[in-house]
Amino acid sequence: MSIYKSAIEKPVTTVLIFVAVIVIGIYSFLKLPIDQFPEMDPPYITVMTTYPGASASEMETNVTKIMENALTSVDHLKHITSQSKDNISMVVLELEWGSNMDEAVNDVRSFVDMAANNLPDNCSKPVIFKLSTSSMPICQYSITADETYAGLDKILNDEVVPQLNHIDGIGNISLSGAPDRYVYVNIDQQKLDAYGITLEQVGQVVSANNLNLSSGTIKMPQEQYQMQVRSEYIESSEIENLMVAMTPQGQQVFIRDIATVKDTIKDLSLDEKTNGREAVRLIIAKQTGANTVQVCKDVRKELAQIQKQLPSDVKIEKIYDSSENIQNSINSLEESVLYALLFVVLVVLFFLGKWRATIIIGITIPIALIVAFIYLGMADSSLNIISLCSLTIAIGMVVDDAIVVLENITRHVERGEDPHEASIYATNEVWVSVIATTLVLVAVFVPLTMLSGMAGIMFHELGWIVTVVCCTSTIVAISLTPMLCSKLLKAKQVHVDENGNLVDDEAGKQGWYERTVVRMLDRVDEYYAKSLGWCLNHKALTLIGLLLLFVLSLTPVFAGKIGTDFMQEQDNGRLSVTIKLQRGTRIEETLKTARALEARFVTLIPEIELINTSAGSNDDATIAALFTSTMNNKIQMTVRLPKKWQRDRDIWTIAEILRQEMAKYPEINEYQCVVSSGGPGGNGNTVDLEIYGYDFDKTSQMAEQCRQLISQLPGARDVNISREDDRPDIKVTVDKEKASRLGLSSATISTYLRNRVAGMSCGYLKDDGSEYDIVVRLEEDDRNSISDILDLSIPTATGKTVKLSEVASVGEYWAPPTIERKSRQRIVTVKATPYNTTLGELAKAIETEVVPQLELPVGYSTHIGGNYETQQDTFSDMILLGLMIIMLVYIVMASQFESLRMPGIIMFTIPFALSGVVIALWLTGRSLDMIGALGLVLLVGIVVKNGIVLVDYINLMRERGYELNQAIQMSGRSRIRPVLMTAFTTILGMVPMAVSSGEGAEMWQPLGIVVIGGLTVSTFLTLYIVPVLYGVMSRHGDRDKQEALRKKFIFMNLKVKKEQ
Amino acid sequence: MIVFNQANTGRVEYMLDVLGIHGFTFFEQVQGRGTNGGEPRRGTHAWPEMNSCVITVVEDDQVPALLESIKKLDMRNEEVGVRAFVWNIEATV
Repeated sequence: MSIYKSAIEKPVTTVLIFVAVIVIGIYSFLKLPIDQFPEMDPPYITVMTTYPGASASEMETNVTKIMENALTSVDHLKHITSQSKDNISMVVLELEWGSNMDEAVNDVRSFVDMAANNLPDNCSKPVIFKLSTSSMPICQYSITADETYAGLDKILNDEVVPQLNHIDGIGNISLSGAPDRYVYVNIDQQKLDAYGITLEQVGQVVSANNLNLSSGTIKMPQEQYQMQVRSEYIESSEIENLMVAMTPQGQQVFIRDIATVKDTIKDLSLDEKTNGREAVRLIIAKQTGANTVQVCKDVRKELAQIQKQLPSDVKIEKIYDSSENIQNSINSLEESVLYALLFVVLVVLFFLGKWRATIIIGITIPIALIVAFIYLGMADSSLNIISLCSLTIAIGMVVDDAIVVLENITRHVERGEDPHEASIYATNEVWVSVIATTLVLVAVFVPLTMLSGMAGIMFHELGWIVTVVCCTSTIVAISLTPMLCSKLLKAKQVHVDENGNLVDDEAGKQGWYERTVVRMLDRVDEYYAKSLGWCLNHKALTLIGLLLLFVLSLTPVFAGKIGTDFMQEQDNGRLSVTIKLQRGTRIEETLKTARALEARFVTLIPEIELINTSAGSNDDATIAALFTSTMNNKIQMTVRLPKKWQRDRDIWTIAEILRQEMAKYPEINEYQCVVSSGGPGGNGNTVDLEIYGYDFDKTSQMAEQCRQLISQLPGARDVNISREDDRPDIKVTVDKEKASRLGLSSATISTYLRNRVAGMSCGYLKDDGSEYDIVVRLEEDDRNSISDILDLSIPTATGKTVKLSEVASVGEYWAPPTIERKSRQRIVTVKATPYNTTLGELAKAIETEVVPQLELPVGYSTHIGGNYETQQDTFSDMILLGLMIIMLVYIVMASQFESLRMPGIIMFTIPFALSGVVIALWLTGRSLDMIGALGLVLLVGIVVKNGIVLVDYINLMRERGYELNQAIQMSGRSRIRPVLMTAFTTILGMVPMAVSSGEGAEMWQPLGIVVIGGLTVSTFLTLYIVPVLYGVMSRHGDRDKQEALRKKFIFMNLKVKKEQ
Repeated sequence: MIVFNQANTGRVEYMLDVLGIHGFTFFEQVQGRGTNGGEPRRGTHAWPEMNSCVITVVEDDQVPALLESIKKLDMRNEEVGVRAFVWNIEATV
C-alpha cells in the first residue's frame, strides 16, 4: 500500500507519528547550544623550536629551513609560514579548513620526529601545539579601582577567579595588567662601593634571614616536641634592619644605610587603563564544546554577585561579551524565521482564500523546521547563523509540495468527489512529480555539502539542512497533507430539490474574497494570457527584446559598479586600534601618547562607551599574551560603542575619524583601526601584498615603496608592513682576556649584570597564604644610561670589585628583525584595508597600479594574498559548484521530462536570474560576497522550479491533443497562479532577511537581496521566455512525431484483397 | 459490468448494498476512454486518472433498478463518470 493511502486510511497513526517527530524535535531544540558559527577548528598547527644563543638568521638556516622542508609534505597543507627570531623558530602550518586536526597533529609529529635528527645539538625538542577554539577568549571584563588598586591582584585571585571557576564549561581565566605586589630593595651603587660591599652579599643576607627550618626533636621526660626556627619575614620593613657587614672600623652597616626597601607593586611594564582609570583585564575562555552563550550568561550573573562583595571603588565593566553579539544575531534571525513563516502563510491564504487549506499547508512549515532541529541535534551542531539562515531559505520552499498536492485534491473535491477518495486518488496523480521537483532541489543543495575549505564548513550545514527540510516537506506533502485534506476539506455542498434535480448550494454565493481577490487574480490571468498570446505571435521580437533586456541589465557589471568582497564586515560596535610608536620608545612615553589619544577620541566620538587601553608587554607568558602582542612602543585599544541602532554614525565612519586623528601625531609610526567583525577567518578584510625575496634591505625598501604607493590609493586605509623595524639593543661585549685575569667569565659577568639591572630574586614575603617576590637590585638612577652600566661594580674572584668598563665594552646596536617566511621564502607583507570600496576593487587597484611600479630584480616576486586570496579561492569553488549544480539539475529535469530539449528551455531562465541579481545589487549598492555568491547558486534551483511547473503543464496539454499555441496559452493561464504563489512565498520568506537591521545582519543581507532580486526578475521573465521558447523549439518536433508514427505503423497502408 | 472512476468506488459499493446485490467481481486499475465524450483514464502523465470495474451477475428483474441507480450516480456528477453495460449470461457453474 502506498504511503499516502496508508496515511489516509490510518489518520491516528499518521498524526501520532508526526506528534512524535515534533516532540523529538522540540527536545532537540531545547538541547541545542547557541553559537555564532558551526563548530570549526581553526586549522593552524604551530611547531616551536628554541636554540639558545642563535641569532635570527642562524635560526633560519639551521632550524626553520629544516623544519619547513620536513613539514611541507603534511596532508592538506595550504600555507606554511615561519618566523625566526633570536633563539626561537616558529613554523605555522595552515591546513585546509575542515581537515581532521587530530590526524594532522599526528602527521606533523611524525615529520617533526624525523627532522629532529638534523637539528643542531643544543636545540630543544620542537613543541607542537594547535590553536583551538577553546583558547579564544569569549568575553573580557575590565576591573577598575582607585584606592584598592594595589590590592586588586589579591582580590581578583582570591575572590573573583575562584568563584568564576565554578561555572560549568568555563575554560582559562587570565588576568592582564594585574598589579603584582613586589618587595624591592633598591641599592645605591656609590654607598655599596663606599662600604666595599657587593650586591650579592646583600642578596644573601636578605634570603638567609628569611627561613623556616626544622631543627630536630626535643624529648622531655613525658612529651616530645618538634623544634623549628621560624624567622620568615612578617613585614617587609624587617628587611631594612638587617645588618649586611661590618666596616673595618667596627661600624655595623644595615640595609637601611645603603638601600631603600619598597613594598610596592611591580614596575610598570604592562599598563592597563579603562576610560583612563587603572584597570585589570579579565579574559575568559570556554572549554571546547561548551555553550558560549550559557557560559557568558553565567559569568555575567556571577560577576554581578561578586560585585556586591567587593570594595565600593572596584568596578567591573564589560569590554566585550561575544555572547551578546551571538544572542542578538540569533534573536534577529529567529525573528526573520518567524516573519518568513507569517508571510508565507499570508501568501498562501491570499491565493487560496480558504483558512482550512491554509492550515493544511501551514502545518508543513513547523514540522519541516522541527525535523531540521532533529538533524542539528544528531549532527552535534548548534543554533547558529548558518543553520538559522538555512531555515529562512527553506521556509519559502517547503510549502510548494504541499500546495501542489492540495491543489489537485481541491480540484477533485470541487468536481463533487468525496474528500476521502479525492485525497487518495488526487495524491496518486501527483506524488511522482512532487518527488521529482524535490529532486531538483536536492540536486542543488547536496553539492553544497561537498564544498571544501572555509566555505565548505559554512555551507556544509546549509546544504544538509535545506535538503533535510525539503525532503521532510515532501514526505509531509504526500502523507500528512492528503490525510488532513481527507479530514478537513468539506465536500461540495449540494442537495436534491423536490423535483429530483441536483442543486449546487454554493453556486451564486460570493464572499468578499471571491469579489475582490479572485476577481483580481482572474484579471491577472486574463491579462497574462493576452500578453502571452501577443508574444507567441511575435516570437522573434519578444526574444530579441528579452535578450536586449538581459544585456542591458548586465551593464553595471561591465561598468564596474558591482564590487566583490569576501564577507561583509559587521558593525558590532567594537573597534580595535593598534598604534606603533618609534621602536624603543620608553613605556612611560608611550603612555603619554595613549592618554592624549584617549582624551581626543572621547571628544571626537562622544558616543564612546568605553576605551580599554593596554600598552607595554607582559613578561608572564600567559595564554592571553598569545593574542595580544603589546610591546613598549605599542598601544592597543578596544573601543566599545553603543549598539548600531543607538547611534547615528556607523562604525566605519567612526573608524575613519579615528584614523584621521591618529595620522596627525608625528610620533605615531603606524596605526591600524580594525572593525571587529567576530567572523571566522581572522580579523578584518585585508588585501595583503606579499613580497618574496632574500635580501632584507631590498625587500624592506620595496615594502616601504609599496606602502607609500598603496597609501595614495583612495580606498586604502591602515596600510602596514609586517616586518618590524630593527630594534635598538644595548650590547655588552666582554673582553675575555681581561675578564679571565680577574677570575671572571662571560657567564659570571652576565649573572652579575642581571642581578644589578633586572634584580636578584631573594625569596618571598609570605602574607596571608600568598607569596610575594623580594628583589634586590640597583636603584633606577644607577642603571638607566650607558655610562651607568659601564660604572657597575662587578665582584672579582679575589673578593675585590672592578667596574664593568674594565672588563667589557658597552655599545648600542640594531637587532635584526624577525625573519618571516612563507612557502619557504623570505617574505614581507604590506596589508591594506578597504574603505568605501570593496576588497576586490582594492586588490585590483594594487595589482594594476602598484605592482607594475615595482622594479623586481630576478629572484623577487610579489603575490596578492590575504582575505582577497581566500575570496578568489572561494569564488572559483563557487563557480565550479554552480556548474556542477547546473549539470545535476539538468540531469534531473531531463530524466523527468525524458527529453534533452525541455531542460534546455527551462535553463534559459537562469541568466535572467543573474540580471535580476545584478540589478538588485546595483540598486542597493552592495557588493557580491561569499554569502551573495551562495545566493546565486541557490537561485539556480529555485528559478528552474518555476519553469518546470510551466513546461510540465504545456507538455500535458500537448499530450491531451491541444494545438501548440493554444496549449501554451492555456497552460500559462492555468499555471500563473501556482508560479506566482511559489515565487511569492520564497521572495517574501527572504524579505525579513534582506531588510533586517539586527546585529550581524550585514552578513546575510546579501543573500536575501540576491535571491529576491534574482527570483523576482526571473519569475516574471520565465512566464514569457519559457512559453515562447517552447513554441519556437517544439513546433516541428511534434509534427515530425506524427509523421514518424505513420511511417512506423505501415500496416495501415496495406490493401486487403477480398478472396474470390 | 459497471465501469467507473476510482473516485466513485464508495458510492458504487453503497449502491450495490442498497439494491441488495451481493455478488460481484471487482477489477481495480483499469484503463479506458469514452466514445461520447468522457475523458480518457489512462494513468499516464496526460491522463492520470484511473477507472475501476465491477462485474455483477443479477436476476433480470434487478437490471432496470440497477441501471436507474447508475444513471442517478452519473447525474450526481458527470465529470467523475460511471458507465454500465448489460449482457446475458449463457451459463454458470
